[in-house]
Formats: sequence, C-alpha cells, structure tokens
Amino acid sequence: MKTLTQYILAVVAVVPFLSSCEKVIDVKIDTSPGQVVIQGNITNVAGPQSVKISRSVSYTDKNEFPPVSGATVTVTDDAGHAWTFTETQPGIYTYASLKGDPGHAYTLKAVFNNTTYTAVSTMPEVIPVDSLSLKTLTFGDEKSKQVQVHFKDPAGKPNYYRYVMKINNKLAKAVFAENDRFTDGNDITSLLFYNGEDGDVKLRNGDVVEIEMQSVDKNVFDYWFTLSQQAQNGPGGGVTPGNPPSNINNQALGYFSAHTKEVKTITVK
Amino acid sequence: MIKHLFPLFSLICCLLASPVLAQQRFTVSGTVRDAASGETLIGATVKLTGTATSAMSTNAYGFYSLSGIAGEYVLSVTYTGYELYTKKITLNASQKADLALSPAGTTLQEIRISAADRKDQNVRTPQMGIDKLNMAELDNLPVLFGEKDVLKTIQLLPGVKSGGEGTTGFFVRGGAADQNLILLDEATVYNSSHLLGFFSTFNADAIKDVSLYKGGMPAQYGGRLSSVLDVKMQDGNNQQFGAEGGIGLIASRVKAEGPIVKNRGSFMVSARRTYIDLLLKASPDSSISGNTLNFYDLNAKLNYRFNDKNTLYASGYFGQDNIGIRDLFANDWGNTTATVRLNHVFNSRLFSNTSFIFNKYRYAIELLDEDNNARITSLIRDYNIKEDLQFYSNHHTVRFGLQATHHRISPSEITASEGSIFNPLKIESRYGMEVAGYASDEWALSEKLSLLYGVRVSAFSLLGPGTIRTFDQQGNETAANNYKSGDVVKSYVYPEPRFSASYILNERSSLKASYNRNTQNIHVLTNASTSSPTDQYVMSSNNIKPGIADQAAIGYFRNAKDNSFEFSVETYYKWLKNQIDYRDGAELIGNGDVESELLYGVGRAYGLEFYAKKTAGKLTGWISYTLSKTERKFDDINRGQYFPSRQDRTHDVSLVGMYNTGKRWTFSANYIYNTGNAVTFPAGKYDLDGLTTYYYTERNANRMPYTSRLDVSATLKAKETKKLRSSWSFGLYNALNRKNPYAIQFRDKENDPTRTEAVQISLFGIIPSVTWNFKF
Repeated sequence: MKTLTQYILAVVAVVPFLSSCEKVIDVKIDTSPGQVVIQGNITNVAGPQSVKISRSVSYTDKNEFPPVSGATVTVTDDAGHAWTFTETQPGIYTYASLKGDPGHAYTLKAVFNNTTYTAVSTMPEVIPVDSLSLKTLTFGDEKSKQVQVHFKDPAGKPNYYRYVMKINNKLAKAVFAENDRFTDGNDITSLLFYNGEDGDVKLRNGDVVEIEMQSVDKNVFDYWFTLSQQAQNGPGGGVTPGNPPSNINNQALGYFSAHTKEVKTITVK
Repeated sequence: MIKHLFPLFSLICCLLASPVLAQQRFTVSGTVRDAASGETLIGATVKLTGTATSAMSTNAYGFYSLSGIAGEYVLSVTYTGYELYTKKITLNASQKADLALSPAGTTLQEIRISAADRKDQNVRTPQMGIDKLNMAELDNLPVLFGEKDVLKTIQLLPGVKSGGEGTTGFFVRGGAADQNLILLDEATVYNSSHLLGFFSTFNADAIKDVSLYKGGMPAQYGGRLSSVLDVKMQDGNNQQFGAEGGIGLIASRVKAEGPIVKNRGSFMVSARRTYIDLLLKASPDSSISGNTLNFYDLNAKLNYRFNDKNTLYASGYFGQDNIGIRDLFANDWGNTTATVRLNHVFNSRLFSNTSFIFNKYRYAIELLDEDNNARITSLIRDYNIKEDLQFYSNHHTVRFGLQATHHRISPSEITASEGSIFNPLKIESRYGMEVAGYASDEWALSEKLSLLYGVRVSAFSLLGPGTIRTFDQQGNETAANNYKSGDVVKSYVYPEPRFSASYILNERSSLKASYNRNTQNIHVLTNASTSSPTDQYVMSSNNIKPGIADQAAIGYFRNAKDNSFEFSVETYYKWLKNQIDYRDGAELIGNGDVESELLYGVGRAYGLEFYAKKTAGKLTGWISYTLSKTERKFDDINRGQYFPSRQDRTHDVSLVGMYNTGKRWTFSANYIYNTGNAVTFPAGKYDLDGLTTYYYTERNANRMPYTSRLDVSATLKAKETKKLRSSWSFGLYNALNRKNPYAIQFRDKENDPTRTEAVQISLFGIIPSVTWNFKF
C-alpha cells in the first residue's frame, strides 16, 4: 500500500509546493529527559545479531546519542533456546553467530537500572526477491529515476514488508513499509519512491543502490508504517506526529524485529 | 418522534389561539422582489406601521405575511442596497401585496439613505450567531488569484477560522471542518472545495444569498454540530435577458439569465472553468502538456410561477476537478446536486415548501503505471424529501416540518487490469436513513422581549444489507453479524432543543441568549487539517455514536449613528461528545474495517467574539476579533489529558475596508492576523541506524508562527454604454510579501548533520491578479 499512498502524496504535495519557499526558523521547543531507545534485530541470515540500547537527547542537543552500557541482554525463542548477548561496543550488544528460523517467536529481554524491557517478535516466512529494476517518473519537466523491487507475494495471508535503501553504501533517509492488503498473492512490483533528502539529492547515473527487503511481522510493520506516514507533509503539516507504536514495554522507544531479509543491488543508468 | 413533538405542537396551538380571538385581524401578505430583475429578496425587513407596529423578515422565497386590526397602515420594506419602499394600505380585509424594490443607485447621494429605513434587524431579532454576506461586497474584496469566493470571505467573520493559507476549508467556533453543514439550494455539498482547497465550489456569480449560522441554530436545520452555511442560487432575471461574466488570470466565468415567460418564470445558467492546464497544453514539452490541472462547474436554475399560490423551482449544480500526471496518476472528483421545490401558499398565513433533493460526491483515483495500475472509486449519495411549513400569526412565526434522507456511502471500489499488482476489491456500501421533525415558534412576547424556541427530533438508522462488525476499545473484532436489505442495524433518536431570546434594552441595543443542541451522523475521516478530495465518509453505526454538541451563547448588540454602525459581542461555550480521532498509523483508504481504527473522545470550545461593522458612507467594512480555545480529550491520546485541536488559535483578527470614491474607483483592503495552529513539535530525538527519529511528548502543545497578511484591490468601472457595463479588478494578495507558515519540517542541518533544524514552508508570496468583468 505504501506505493499507492506515495503516488498520491507525491502528486498532492507537488501541486501546492510549485510556488512554495523554505526558510529555517527558530522554534520554541520543550526539552525532555533521555528516553530509553532499544533497537533489536534478529534475522534469518547467519552471522552476528545485535541489539543497540541508547538514550534520546533533547531536540536542541547535538545528534550524539548516549549509549546505555552494562545491560543484561538475552534473546530466547519458543523452542527453548536462549542466547546471551555481550556488549561489544558501548551500548551495542551482539551474539557472534545466530541464525533465526522463520515461523519462530523470539523474545528480547534487556535488564538495566532495575527495569526489565521485553518484546516479542515472530519471524515470518522467507519471501525471495526476484529482481530490482529502474523506472523513470516524470513530474512536469522533472524526471526522476526510481528503484522497483519485484517479488511474489504469498497468497491467502497478510504479509508485511520493510525496505532499507542504501545509495553508494550510505543509508537513504527514507522509511519504506508496505503490506499486501490490496495485492495479496500477486507478482508485486514495488516502487520505492525516493525523492532525495529534502528533495534535492536524487538518484544519479552510476549510483549503486542496495535494497534490503525484510519480511516483518505486523507489529514491526505498524512501527515502520507509522514512521513513514509522519515523514510526509501535507497541508498544515500532514499527519499529527506521535511516537510509533513500539512492541517493547515500559515506554521504551524503538522496536524489536525478528525478520527475514535479502539484499540485492542495482546500478542506476 | 410524534410523541416528542406533540407537547410542543399543543403548546404552540394554545399560544396561537388566544390572541386571535380577541379582535378581528386582517393579513397582508405577498412576495418582495427586485423591481429590475424580479429576483425575490431574502431577509428584507417588512414593517406594518399604524395603530400597532409589526415587522418581519421575508423568508427564503421572499414571502412575508403581517397582520393587524382594521385601520390605516404604512407598509414599508428595507433591504441593504435598495431604495426604501413605502405604501399606504387600508386593512379592512386580508389582502395580497407583492412589492418591488428598486436597487439604490451607486452615486453617493443615493447611498446616503435616511435614518428611518436602515436595518436594525441585527438588534431586534432573537436569532443570534448569524452572519450574512452581502454579495455586492464580494465583487470588491481582494482574494487569491482574483477569484471572488464566498468561503474565503466568511473566514473574515468572527468565530470563523480558515483551514489554512489560501484554502476554503473553515472551522466555526472550535468545531471540526466536517461539522459544517454546507447547503446549496438545500442540497448538502460534501466537498466544498476545488483544486485542493484553493477555490470553493460556489461560483459567486450564481449566488444570491449566503447565511452562516454559528450558534442559536434554527430548528429547521440539523445534522451537523458546528454551523450551517446556507447558500442560495439566484433565480434569474424574469424581466429581460442578460449575460455577464469575468475573465481572470486562471479562470473565467459566464452567466446567462432571462425570462421564460415575463413576470412568471426565469432561468439562470452560470459556468466557470480554470485554464491552468490549457497553458500547460501550450507547452512544447510533451511531458508538461500531458498533465492536467483544472476544474469546472455549472449552476443552473429555473423557476416558474403557475399562479399566486404555486411556484416551482428546479436547480442543479455540477462540478468536477481533474488533476493528473501523464502516464502516472489521475484524480478526479466532484459534487452533483439537484433540487426541485414547490412553494405553495395555502392562505395568507400559511406558506409551504416541498423539496426533493439529490446530492452526491464522488472521486476516482487512477494509477496509470502499467504494473501498478488500478482505479479506486468512492461515493457518497443522498436522497432527501423535505416538507417545511411556516405559519404567520400575530406576534408569532411558527415553523414546522419533516425531513427524510436516505444515505449511501460506498467507501472504496478498486478495479485493476489483468497483470496489475492490485487485486479487485469492493468494500461494502453502507446505507442509512435520517428522519427529522421540527417545530419552532418565533414569538414577539412584548415590545422588548422576543423568543425563538423549538425542538428538532432527529432519528438515524444504519440499515442493511451488509456484514456489520463490532470492535472493542482496542479495535479488536468482537462480533460480526449479517443483515439483509432494509434490516435496521442500529438506531439513535435524539431530541435537540433550540432556544434563543432577545431583550431590547433601548432603540439601539439588545441582549440575546441562546442554547442549542445538534447531533451529527455523517463523519469525515481525514489525515489532513483541511478537506482533501479523498476524505473518507462514515455514518453513525454500532461502533460510532452520533456526535453531540451543546452550545450556549450570550451576546450584546448595539447599533449607532442611525444604524450605520453595528457592534456586537458574543461569547459561547460548546460541549462536544462522541468526537472521532484515529489510531496512529491508521489506514483510512480502502479499509473495510476502518471503524476498528477509530478513537472516541470529547471536546470543549469557548470564545469571545467582537464585531464592528460600518454599513454606510464612502468607507464601509468591518473589524472582527475572536479570542477562543478549542480542546479535545481521548483516552488513548496525550495520556487522556485535554489537548488543543489543531485549529485552536488564540487570537484571530480580520479588518476589512472598502472605500467607494463615488466615481469610478473602489478601493478595498483586508488584513488578517492569527495565532499559529497548535502543532506537535518533537521534544527529543533518537537514532535508528542513522535515521534521526523524533520523540514526541504532548499532543499539539506547540505553536506554528503567527500568520498575518494584507491584501489590497482596486476596481475601476469602465465607461458605461447602453449595452455594456464592465469593470477591471486589480488585486495584490499578500501585498507585503510576508512568508506565512504553511508547514514546519524538522531535518538534520545540511552543513552540520550533527544538528537539527526547523524549516518553515510558505506557500504564497505576493500574488497579483487582474480580472475583467462584464455585463450585457
């Protein structure tokens, strides 16, 4: 559904902005004490799996996010396995070699400051990527090249996807999340609409674009989908922003995602 | 329903019966018209002066009925922009008097109307919270792109807030945008905007009368919580043929009118079209010429008077917007309305109007990409039958009637070609029946005290067929039941008391108070602050309870200098129940279970409105100031605490001035200032794999910067010839070229990615416009 919404929003957003202008302003903003942020990923690709724990900072501070050290981090599955993660860098807890199995539920437990944070995520089945392709979109006299992902959606049940885009090894600041509400069981072409950061850096010939397709569970989809909606701006500022619904308890920010993934690259030409 | 209304009817009957017996009374009744065009005049003040004085305003069809004991009287009519009309009559039998008023000339001599004939209706009538637009003023006011627009002009009135820069969306006394009942010749207009809100669906050329009720809602209106905007089309000149129009920078309009049978019937047809895309088409670049961006609309009306007792009106509106990007995307949407009405005068005291009304709003989105192609359509449609009766008696005007509306909402239907990634999908249509009955009495109790009281009883039923699901507070399905066609799924009945009173303090001033309850059964789900073509409509249901608003208001009204200055102060408090918001990340489009995404809460709004208007002289205009607050409370939002609605703006000021030189030039200007919208800014930020993500605490606890704007315009009347009258309008929108906030975005600084900055996006700088208007 991501694609459809983005088509519409792209057009609706373009029209009024034809004559718009931008300026940086000072805004009065409250500060907030640092909140716990947990970002945990378990994938089906064998190798190190990691959980990152940090704190948020006030809006006016530098983008330096204090790591949370000294936590006890364990992951268990519904088959009785348990893995204890060790802190390899400040705030980064890893397990050197762990391969998640689709269909299993994983539970994250992180304990520090006498608080236990837990989250459960179920790894969906593997959905292979067929290929990537390029598509040229034309908005007026402006042409832009976009990447499309091709795959076959399994029929008869809901599936949720998240994509991570890297351009020349640099993470694109865009959130892509979609489900198969309108496309169940079909050969899917997903256009990952990327108009550059702040609209001026687009895909150029020669750019190497890496797409990681993740098959995620519903809670994790809700997290990313909510985040992606807030990134868009409509009249008066678009959707009223809020914190995306986290699957971690005790008011922690972030998410715990057990997902399958596949990475493919394409060169823009 | 009948049970609820019966006590009121009997009360009214008692009230009516007693004074009639006292002495033989006679009635004078008829229709007030413009002498030159034959247009009926709505809201003209008709006065019968003699042994006793009685007065009333003409109804929506120009009808009046006054009575008195036998004797000599002077019948007089006043109406803004018209010469005073007086006629001596001897009342010794009930009689009919159709009155024709001549438009006042435009030279200053004629503008200076004598004191006696100026209107003091604003002070005298018990109705409060009402604003009427003078359509003649609209020609002179500066507007965006030079397109005169009733919805933008009402935003300059106290208690009415704009939906955003350049848009026609509006909020009344803290209510939401979907809480305004917008009527065009009694048909509901669901989406009142063209071109993403920059133009309204109302072509000012075709409009005769615009009334906005913000409070003290008369009982004949219902179905929305916050306001009624009652727009009436012109009937057309029944004396002679004429054509007029205007050619502007981005749109042109043309209107034709004339008699079908002189003095008996007339027609009016008015059309408007933008031509931005015609300019695009002229582009040599094929990728530009393939895009579309336009709207057009058509208003038409016919009326025919069969005899003194029966008049038939038929009117319709059709409008459509098209936007599209070649090979990628197309979106069209529009309203259609049709109204057929029969006025019947039973006798000099009883006036009836029977209406058959059809209206629909639909949109279609087409994705044109070969892999991602799909067509999504959506529809909301009403059939409506209404019977309104007005009974005029000594000191009483009694209104009563019945209304039945059948609603159909077809939320989404998706069709796609073979090979598209999209599956066909049809979300079940929902059907509903709204039945309402009302009775009200406007009673001049004494020289000083007038009352307008009544009740409206509204009943709503959600009807089958369909599979109706029930959701709990968390949005989980708890039941699913199948209903056959016509089965009643859920019904709600609400009595809605309406009450207003005015107490005349002296010749020039009065106090008024009102209380009213309104309910609402059609709700809009939208992510944006203003109306969008893809707004989703839902009905009250087993999950969604009807919205309820209770409003209490008091006001002080005063006129000065022979009524050439009008002042008013009104204060109101509004309680809102069963308000709708939705969960974060809710998917509203194409979602059959959209009701599982909704949250229900309450709201409150209160404010103080000041209004000062100068209605005579070379310089006319008004100042309005609103101090207000509007808040909502939902269990699952903002930790269950009250938070400001997005449209909560503490201060809102409008100044409107028009200066008529008395020669060929008219100058006008308006200035607006308002506090910024309540918005949610991040309080903190955190990192998700290099993506700076924002942390939010309080909902809508922050403010956009304030908005202020000065618009100016000048209108030059060209030399009149016998055949042609024409004028040029020159305008400057945002004459000071101030960068007003449209949206605020947060992002990492470009030259210092370790920092975050707030970026304000502004839409319109200074925009000049020129329009040539003509009239044959």
